[in-house]
Amino acid sequence: MKLLEALNTVKSMHSRGGPTLPCALVTGFTPLHLKTFLTAELVRRIPGRSIEIAEGLYGDLAGNMRRLPEAKFEFAVVVVEWCDLDPRLGIRSGARWSKDELSDIVATAKQHAAQFLHAVGNAAPLPLSVCMPTLPLLPLAHTPGWQKSAFEVDLHGVIQSLASSLAGLPHVRLLSAQQLDLQSPPSERFDLQADLRTGFPYLIPYASTLANLLASLALRSTPKKGLITDLDGTFWNGILGEDGVGGISWDLEHHSQIHAFYQRFLGSLAGAGVLLAVASKNDPALVEEAFARADLAVAPSAFFPVEAHWNAKSESIARILEAWNIAADAVVFVDDSPLELAEVEAAHPGIECVQFPSGDDLEIYGLIARLRDRFGKNTVTEEDGLRLASIRRTRTRDVAAESATDTNFLDQTEAEVSFTFEREPLDPRVLELVNKTNQFNLNGARHTEASWRALLSNPGAFLMVSSYRDKFGPLGRIAVLAGTLCGTRLSVSTWVMSCRAFSRHIEHRCLAELLARFRPEEVRFSYQQTERNGPLRDFLSRLLGSPPAPECNASRSLLDAFLETVLHTPEMIDE
Amino acid sequence: MNKIQARLTNCFLAVFPELTIDQVVSASSTNVRNWDSVAGVTLLAVVEEEFGILLDNSSVSGLNSFQDFLNYLTRTTSTDLYAAAGGY
Repeated sequence: MKLLEALNTVKSMHSRGGPTLPCALVTGFTPLHLKTFLTAELVRRIPGRSIEIAEGLYGDLAGNMRRLPEAKFEFAVVVVEWCDLDPRLGIRSGARWSKDELSDIVATAKQHAAQFLHAVGNAAPLPLSVCMPTLPLLPLAHTPGWQKSAFEVDLHGVIQSLASSLAGLPHVRLLSAQQLDLQSPPSERFDLQADLRTGFPYLIPYASTLANLLASLALRSTPKKGLITDLDGTFWNGILGEDGVGGISWDLEHHSQIHAFYQRFLGSLAGAGVLLAVASKNDPALVEEAFARADLAVAPSAFFPVEAHWNAKSESIARILEAWNIAADAVVFVDDSPLELAEVEAAHPGIECVQFPSGDDLEIYGLIARLRDRFGKNTVTEEDGLRLASIRRTRTRDVAAESATDTNFLDQTEAEVSFTFEREPLDPRVLELVNKTNQFNLNGARHTEASWRALLSNPGAFLMVSSYRDKFGPLGRIAVLAGTLCGTRLSVSTWVMSCRAFSRHIEHRCLAELLARFRPEEVRFSYQQTERNGPLRDFLSRLLGSPPAPECNASRSLLDAFLETVLHTPEMIDE
Repeated sequence: MNKIQARLTNCFLAVFPELTIDQVVSASSTNVRNWDSVAGVTLLAVVEEEFGILLDNSSVSGLNSFQDFLNYLTRTTSTDLYAAAGGY
């Protein structure tokens, strides 16, 4: 982004307005254009908000960190540079560089790093996105530039140790130095003139790159949930129907090792809870045989469903989406054929279709790096490990359900619904449910960690988290309700339930539990229609007898009558 | 309005959003309330980036108004600068 473009983006934000998003940019240098670029990048990502970035005092990074808890920010971005560890590491210092000074600089750096770490710890739970020093070290040591000095090693050791401690803090995310190096060579970062003139040390293009990555780090985009892959020319090299099971390859010998890398990458996604499926125009028996090969770099059980036949791929995608019960826009489809991609894209608007650049190892490597970004997440939860197994079980369960009436079947499932009401510590899975659920979602409201904590700290606030298991296995935490209790009125501002939990009457159990625990005379739902929350709307329509209006109310008698007619009785366990 | 003046006007409007196009031509550090040191540095950076030039310290001290910038850019117009400004 050019600076002029960034300024115009910020200008348009000011003229448009919108709810304020207060955040902080913590630096020891003058943030100047970095602040402009960061504001513009945040505006691009959340166009409805008015970004307000506070900055601190020049030359006082640790002090700026210490003062963070005094204001109410939603998050903070922290950029550390060498001179924050010791001013003598900056060009603006007039201090000497004698040999003795160097060891003193390292000692001071250690001391300042410890103070910084302490301040970061005290800033919790405010989400912090931290960038460690990125500028080249000044030529302070006596060694030639191509030789790494003990001084340089020691200073990098201080930073490494600090980064290692920061990485272990749940409210901190570190910017990837590798990603930064790939996008901006170290030699194209330092602006000597600007640093001398104004105290801003970055070249404009570098400030733009850094702001872009920092904005991505601070506001993670919602990761995709599933990946559907083609087989021939994608998952493996070769065409199964022509080359045979022994003729397809993913190894060094056949110059197709990059396909093994792709397979390993898919295995890594599966381990993080991403759903994987296959859509291939192939003979299903041959595919089964190929998947039995011992040298496959990913377990075949990671893929469900496997759609292998000669019908249109859009049909395969439809069946896979139905089995997963997720929307097309949460899915990436990878295929080497532009024709197949176009056919699927036309039939399933919103799905992200990505061409596998077969035959070009470098391009494939780049694609895998981009896919990693699309599926990247901060933490892997217990539910991530349960997801695929629960979908398989749901399929088994659906087949079983076809031969029984709804109520009879649910009675036979040995369902156990449990509830918790603890607000602390913040559970990443709860926030993930709130921010990823689309279909059974009361109003589509999304939350940052800070706004979620603020909501739960309101007077009378409650949080109810529901977990489920039945004889087919556990689903983990699958529903979240939050709101406030004021007198005899219960106001529900957040209600989400995983689509994996549909058709089990868990939503009814949730309401029943709320009534039993808080004994309200009336429940108010902060309903808002979204493009995708039809299942929630249908549920409220059945409850109220008509389509819900925003801020709709249900009396206790109405709720009791509704639940009485619908509820089956799974065993309930209060935790 | 020639191309250099038009692009310079865009730079001023981005840095001083409170100005109208008509006011830009007479803008100076003495009559634009928000023309402080930060705005001055930002303006220099935007002009450098927009015209693909590097302003040295001696030039910077004399650039205190729209007309100063315009005169400087016109005076130092070279083949490269014309090309950067879309003159060819």
